[in-house]
Amino acid sequence: MTDERRNEQELEALFAAARRDAPTPSADLMARVLADAEAAQAQAQAAPAARPTRPAARPRWRQVVDLLGGWPAMAGLATAGVAGLWLGVAPPAALLDLPLAGFGTADPALVGMLPGVELDLLALEEG
Amino acid sequence: MTMPLDALEDVPDDALLRLFANGDGAAARVLTLRLTPIVLAHAYRLLGDRDEAEDVAQEAMMRLWRIAPDWRQGEAKVTTWLYRVVANLCTDRLRRRRGVDLDSVPEPADDTPSAHDGLVARARVDALQQALSALPERQRQAVILRHIEGLSNPEIAQVMEIGVEAVESLTARGKRALTAALADRRMELGFGDDG
Repeated sequence: MTDERRNEQELEALFAAARRDAPTPSADLMARVLADAEAAQAQAQAAPAARPTRPAARPRWRQVVDLLGGWPAMAGLATAGVAGLWLGVAPPAALLDLPLAGFGTADPALVGMLPGVELDLLALEEG
Repeated sequence: MTMPLDALEDVPDDALLRLFANGDGAAARVLTLRLTPIVLAHAYRLLGDRDEAEDVAQEAMMRLWRIAPDWRQGEAKVTTWLYRVVANLCTDRLRRRRGVDLDSVPEPADDTPSAHDGLVARARVDALQQALSALPERQRQAVILRHIEGLSNPEIAQVMEIGVEAVESLTARGKRALTAALADRRMELGFGDDG
């Protein structure tokens, strides 16, 4: 018998011994694996019901409110708007004494840069 | 819905996995009984450590349970996929082991040679395991898959994601290295009469 053939046979005898020596899973391992399997199944079955639903789409006006900073910011914005309207319709006398009151006639270039002011002043003059 | 165990014994692995994904409890039990021994044996042969092999087996099976809903039938054999997962998990452990503690590799018992068949068989298994542990990782994996697990070369090529020729080369080199490593132990392994 050649060395190569002898080596092959001896190695095969070792492999055969290893095949016969396959470890048997312990009862504990089998129980753990099965418990994992059942847990995975339970999780998969529960998943569709437990999956968080997508929040309902918010109306466009709510998105704008949120964008501007929510209700507190809106309150400030509303106050400023009302105050502006009041100043425009019925300005206090003190306001007319401010240097700003003369913009409409004194410096056309500056008034051109502040179109709102120009309109307010026109309204005042007409009123 | 759960099918009776008997009815599932001849059902292929991938079909069982589909049943498992649909919540079949019997499929879970049959897959556990059928595949855990295969996974454990391969992990044990790659690692040479029973406790670590059990951990790897549990983790590999856990990955199978998780992938079950996405498993595409007919694409790959379940066992091929599992051999690959086990090999990857073992590689991670062997790397950590090398990095942490070189002495943690279990040394098989160096029994005194005995005429008793059982002891010779034990000595052969231990000697082979020790020699396998000394092989480069890919050679070890290829030799174990080919000569102990009994896979074909094309199947090993799929597990290892390499070509068939590369498998042949790895197993040939691995066997030469094993022969060289065990040459001095022929007598104690019951190969003493040269014949």
